[in-house]
Amino acid sequence: MDELEAIKVTFFQECEELLADLEGGLLAMQDGNDDGDTVNAVFRAVHSIKGGAGAFGLEPLVRFAHVFETLLDAVRSNEVPATPDLVVTLLRASDVLADHVSSARGLGDVDEAVSASMAAELKACTDPNAAPAPAAAPVVVEAAAAPVIEAAPALIGADDALDDDDLGFDFQPMTITIDEQAADVAAAAGNVWTVSIRPKSDLYRKANETALLLRELARLGPIQATLDASALPPLEFLDAEAAYATWTVRLETDEDENAIREVFEFVDGDCDLEITRGEAVAPDAALAALLAGDAPAPAPAPVVEAFEPAPVVVEAAPEPAPAPVAAAPVVAASAPVAAPTPAAAAKTQQIEVPGPGQSVIRVDPERIDRLIDLVGELVINQAMLAQRVGEYGIAPSSNLAMGLDELEQLTREIQDSVMAIRAQPVKSVFQRMPRLVREVASMTGKQARLVMDGENTEVDKTVIERLADPITHMLRNAIDHGLESPEERKAAGKNPEGVVRLAALHRSGRIVIEVQDDGKGINRERVHSIAVKKGLISPELQLTDEEIDNLIFLPGFSTADKISDVSGRGVGMDVVKRSVQALGGRISITSRPGQGSTFSLSLPLTLAVLDGMVVDVAGETLVVPLAAIVESLRPKPEEVRPLGPVGAVLAVRDSFVPLIDVGLTLGYRDSSPPPTEGVVLLVEGEDGSRAALVADAIHGQRQVVIKSLEQNYQQVDGVAAATILGDGRVALILDVDAVISLRRREPPRPVEPTLIAAE
Amino acid sequence: MTVLSLPENLDLKASGPLKAAFLERRGGALEVEAGNVRRLGGLCLQVLLAAKTAWAADGKSFSIRAPSEAFVETTRLFGAEGALLSADIHGVQS
Repeated sequence: MDELEAIKVTFFQECEELLADLEGGLLAMQDGNDDGDTVNAVFRAVHSIKGGAGAFGLEPLVRFAHVFETLLDAVRSNEVPATPDLVVTLLRASDVLADHVSSARGLGDVDEAVSASMAAELKACTDPNAAPAPAAAPVVVEAAAAPVIEAAPALIGADDALDDDDLGFDFQPMTITIDEQAADVAAAAGNVWTVSIRPKSDLYRKANETALLLRELARLGPIQATLDASALPPLEFLDAEAAYATWTVRLETDEDENAIREVFEFVDGDCDLEITRGEAVAPDAALAALLAGDAPAPAPAPVVEAFEPAPVVVEAAPEPAPAPVAAAPVVAASAPVAAPTPAAAAKTQQIEVPGPGQSVIRVDPERIDRLIDLVGELVINQAMLAQRVGEYGIAPSSNLAMGLDELEQLTREIQDSVMAIRAQPVKSVFQRMPRLVREVASMTGKQARLVMDGENTEVDKTVIERLADPITHMLRNAIDHGLESPEERKAAGKNPEGVVRLAALHRSGRIVIEVQDDGKGINRERVHSIAVKKGLISPELQLTDEEIDNLIFLPGFSTADKISDVSGRGVGMDVVKRSVQALGGRISITSRPGQGSTFSLSLPLTLAVLDGMVVDVAGETLVVPLAAIVESLRPKPEEVRPLGPVGAVLAVRDSFVPLIDVGLTLGYRDSSPPPTEGVVLLVEGEDGSRAALVADAIHGQRQVVIKSLEQNYQQVDGVAAATILGDGRVALILDVDAVISLRRREPPRPVEPTLIAAE
Repeated sequence: MTVLSLPENLDLKASGPLKAAFLERRGGALEVEAGNVRRLGGLCLQVLLAAKTAWAADGKSFSIRAPSEAFVETTRLFGAEGALLSADIHGVQS
């Protein structure tokens, strides 16, 4: 990847962030937070995207961003009030902008019609009267409209416009003829390069000379250098041997980029170089627009405003701005300015595109995966070693045992560090969702607002990537099936705008994603009747509310009367359930009629290592995740109370918890030994429900490496994964929640095998 | 009116002395003799630009007199003619 490509990649990465900022800002505005800072942030995001896009010559993106930016500028200066309707329009515009960015990146296409109508809408918002652009434009507006006028006066002293101009473009006293301008653009279109040269002090110190570089460039073709001396300190503070000035050179040549690069061969490293094809116009125009907006400086406006009244010209000659540079000798954007001028106040920030690999290292994820695998092996190996040492009966205080302890600490630290490399905030997935909500809401004619929580919750990257689909599906479902139409909501005395809440949080070593809506809740009667009609359950079966709610996860279940193109798609929540299970996760639903439903999705935090308690059950070794265990105890006979024909509860302090024999639940044995003979692990499920798991013996606490059962075998109810113990044996890791819920459904087992099979 | 005559060679080595020469003459109107200049480098260009700014800030006149062809040509190459040369020279030359 050459340097430019690398910078481009960085640009697109920045775009992602900027788009997220943009969206965040607009959402804040939607919430009534339309103070100057927010509006400014929104404006800056669009402006930065435009600036960067201009540097890479991404014309459609620049054009759209420009219109967008113009409107935002008007909002910023309170010319256009930020009404809720406008913010909605802006949000849609941000979606189109995102499409343009993706398209520029080569991912998907922009719907030109949508983009054009959006642009028209934005323009209409900017200036409802469609009067010619404000401020300093009029002169050239006319000139553009009537290109006969010669000598369109750009009567601005060089001194006025130039001093603080970071990007080094300038406007100078000169006479432009529009004809010339057009001719110039036409002639220049093909073979124009923009070379940005930023010499470092070393360049001069090594007796190289910018003048020579410029001369060499001039040998390739006609050049026009624009000097930016804005960094030049006052004379008295000037280091006579340091480099301050930078140049932007417009070069017309038939040579290729390599030829240009060769000119700088000898100053490699002593000079920052940027070579782009085409004029450096777009950013200039962008900045000019900004300048025009920021300060009433008449200088930059002419060229830019010509965009608006004469869009045809823009289309025909997509680079209308080069004229000032092209048509006349160039004036330095230099410092010799006496007093600060209006333009001086309009300092524009330069779009800093950091070079690759400076503060962040980009690593192929495969390497990290390999590292994680290795750490897993290391953990296993260390456990084996510890076991061997234990077998030899070496005293815990011996050097060997202590060394082993240290090794264990180190292993653990390495492992934490490696996991931290992969941990990322779920934000990257969450930030795509507002758009989805908007689109689904508009498709279904509902009003929905997305509230997000816990975006900074960190999750293993491998998990994050696979979260997007289930979340998308759940959100679609919440809006399409959960929320009522605005009319229904009004009738029910609710706010016509429904709220969908998306939250991420950590709970007992797992990540929980919740999608909550304040809609009508699950219509249990209908769910039940559909399930019966589709033959998924038998009609006489009595189900609890919770069980009915969970019916929607059955394969082939779809409550929508007709399949909508939003969430129907012929598949149901069973697909979500399956993809969540593939991640070792679970999904559950709670619903209250009239108040909405909550889908709760829980996933293991990492897919690699866990702390567990190794226990013995009916001769099998099992690992119970430590995070779930509250305490372990040996029950006394008086604490165990029978409940029902087979069940029993355990009195723990002031409450009773169900006793679950793991061996029985998992099918290791047919009858339970008395609980008093075993050990009880008091565990807490994700929903906070407690249970007492009965095991035969406890072996101790171990750190185990998770080996997925799903990947290597298949999903097994009640078992989360497998692991390899220190002695090389395979042990199953217990899925505590599943065991609890298995036990709950035990009584109907003989009656209704279908439901269990489907679960 | 003080006059500063520029040397032939305005390269790396000349930039320090050039700056010092300007600082010495600060405070009054200045005419810079550029007729002898045969080479102008980026560093000296910076000094000239900074000097011109300084003089402008002082409200004193600063002019470059009878620049040599090389001086004008290099200044233009640098894209600095508008900033450095008076309008008539730069107008005439272009």
